[in-house]
Amino acid sequence: MSHFRLKRCYIVFDMLATRRELLDLALRAAALPGAAEFFSAWLKAAGGHPHASGSNAPPEPPLLRNYKPKFFQPEDFEALQSFTEILIPTDDTPGAREAHCAHYIDFVLQAAAEYAPQMQTQWRDAMSALRQVGFHAATAQGRAALVEAMSKPERDPSASHPAYPAYRLIKQQNTFAFYTSRAGMIEALDYKGNSYNATFPACNHPEHHVV
Amino acid sequence: MAKSYDVIVVGSGACGGWAAMELSKAGMKVLMLEAGSHIDPAKDFQHRFLYQMEYRGQGKPGLLRRYAGSERNYRIMIDNEENPYTTSPETVYRWGRSRVLGGRTLHWSRASDRMADYEFKAASRDGYGMDWAVSYADLTPYYDRVESFIGVSAAMEGLPQFPDGVFLPPMPLNCAEAIFTAACKSLGWRSTHRRLAQLTRMHNNRPPCHYCGNCSNGCDVGAMFNTVAVTLPPALKTGNLEVRTDSVVARVRMNNENRAQGVTYIERYSMKPVDVDSKYVILAASTLENTRLLLLSAKGGLANSSGTLGHYMMDQVGGGGVSGILPKLKGGPSRLDDGKAAGITIPNFQNIDKKTERKDFIRGYVMNATGGQTEYPQFAASLPGYGSEWKKEVKSRYVAQARVWIAGGEMLARKENFVELDPEVKDHWGIPVLKIHFTHCDNDRKIIADFQQKAEELFRKAGGEVMPGSVRRSESGRRGALGGSIHEVGTARMSADPKDGVLNSFCQTHDIANLYVFGGNAFPSTGDKHPTLTMMALSARGCDHLIEQAKGKKV
Repeated sequence: MSHFRLKRCYIVFDMLATRRELLDLALRAAALPGAAEFFSAWLKAAGGHPHASGSNAPPEPPLLRNYKPKFFQPEDFEALQSFTEILIPTDDTPGAREAHCAHYIDFVLQAAAEYAPQMQTQWRDAMSALRQVGFHAATAQGRAALVEAMSKPERDPSASHPAYPAYRLIKQQNTFAFYTSRAGMIEALDYKGNSYNATFPACNHPEHHVV
Repeated sequence: MAKSYDVIVVGSGACGGWAAMELSKAGMKVLMLEAGSHIDPAKDFQHRFLYQMEYRGQGKPGLLRRYAGSERNYRIMIDNEENPYTTSPETVYRWGRSRVLGGRTLHWSRASDRMADYEFKAASRDGYGMDWAVSYADLTPYYDRVESFIGVSAAMEGLPQFPDGVFLPPMPLNCAEAIFTAACKSLGWRSTHRRLAQLTRMHNNRPPCHYCGNCSNGCDVGAMFNTVAVTLPPALKTGNLEVRTDSVVARVRMNNENRAQGVTYIERYSMKPVDVDSKYVILAASTLENTRLLLLSAKGGLANSSGTLGHYMMDQVGGGGVSGILPKLKGGPSRLDDGKAAGITIPNFQNIDKKTERKDFIRGYVMNATGGQTEYPQFAASLPGYGSEWKKEVKSRYVAQARVWIAGGEMLARKENFVELDPEVKDHWGIPVLKIHFTHCDNDRKIIADFQQKAEELFRKAGGEVMPGSVRRSESGRRGALGGSIHEVGTARMSADPKDGVLNSFCQTHDIANLYVFGGNAFPSTGDKHPTLTMMALSARGCDHLIEQAKGKKV
């Protein structure tokens, strides 16, 4: 009997999208005989877990918004910030600036003192490599040209540049900082996962069923 | 005087949880001992977005090195500093473990495949190693029982080498999986939905999967099989089960009548040793921990009249694989591709009968493939370039990612692969740790090489573009070692003749009538299927045997 009713609920699930609606439905359905046990786990979890995607994804905590750099010297931080914004510029989607990538890198590095001091050494070396090739002193245009030159070995194995390792290190960490931020993951890439879904979307494209 | 139980079950993973449920339901008084901590899914499972965590899933730099796992799931993994192990100089092996209530079921890949007779009787066919002491017919009712209870979503295929079972509807395929399926068809290979202990509809009062993709971080609603959500609740409901967590079992104690008297465990925090007695002891602490306990319990190892205890360690071979993109999907819209954390399976199609026999190697392997959006674009940092063009390229490839990996590559059983107690190193509680001796043979390497070739063939047929540098070398370069699969089995193999192994076909030790060992220990060969379902079916069969024995019946 309750199974029959649950089955009907389940069909309704297919047409629902948001977590809020699912919760409402679950609350109402939980009142049905025999359904309480079924929904209790779901409800308990839904209350504690931010399973909503797209624009419903929860906001990013304010940690980086008012963050003051602790690891980098001010001129190194300024240089890093501009480097990260050249790598991931703001265009039709947010970039490193909106994602506070330089701030995040500083936050991780200041926390590395205790268990991973070698990370700090690596980044000090990278910043001094940047200084040596004149990145700090360069104009915006000069900086863009420097990054272009530094990145050459990525495409051309015969090319080399003294600051290539610094470029790779910053790119690596900047990419991580950006695509794990809300700006990168949700706004730029439109990640759909970590969400409540009644069904899994099947591929419905005939052109994918032939090679 | 120690409190006495009918059965002590050491460990709370897939097999320990099953045993605790079956035996407490049969009216026996059961004590479950778990070395790790208690877990509360609602509190301890972390499904936050990466950006909600200060360190974006990585933990404070360097801090998580001592744990397996990420900031989300390290609590359900293991503390490697408390629980070390050692390896011989020629060994390259990573032992993946969990010490927590529920063990590895809390974050396992859920793959639930039945083994077939061509695996159980492989030695008769190709002359290598030893046949299993059970056949597919012996295990069929137990596969049925386990699948019906835990819920396995899969499709019927009618393939003798990939036996069908009691299935819930399969999960739909995403776009990349549809393309790989078409590619398999065109190559003449059979493929199917991965068979997963993950619900597609309500089952035994558990809700269906909501496709959040957090399986490896612990399922918050119990839609995927794990001890805590599935086998423990009915066991506790009987009132016959007592669970003690933070109880590190140090040895099995014997009496003068060649029977196990009980076990001694050490309280994790007080370090106090505690003796508990029981009529039966079941070791279900994971394959290698079980063997470690047998080695710790008597000089030369308990139940080791065959001399095979610790030997014939195996782990399905890993490594190799292809990743890249499917150009057909490039630039498409975002989809929930990783929500079911699944893929397709390509069952082994070589060396399954005379017709498919290979001249250059014996046994076979299973392949998996999937693709599409993932939480983090792992490829992005190695994609050359930067700036707006690079950003666009990242987004366009993000939805078109694809990979083929090996699911179960058979590794041959060799006596020289073994575990022993390390004479010097002890764990946090002063208990000697395992020393692992583990290398691969030529056949293992040929399996991986053949897989690599077929994986690339499949990728090409699907129109895939291989990511430069993504083709992982089949040999890591470190002494020619291959990878593993966290499918470690063997070290106390089953045998029809007590001279050849430690266990009989019921996973009861040949030497000690009231001592059972549940896990992968009994496997005389790895087969090419994921091992958990077979371990559980063997446990269910062992429980039946134990219950009959307890009733005084001759079995």
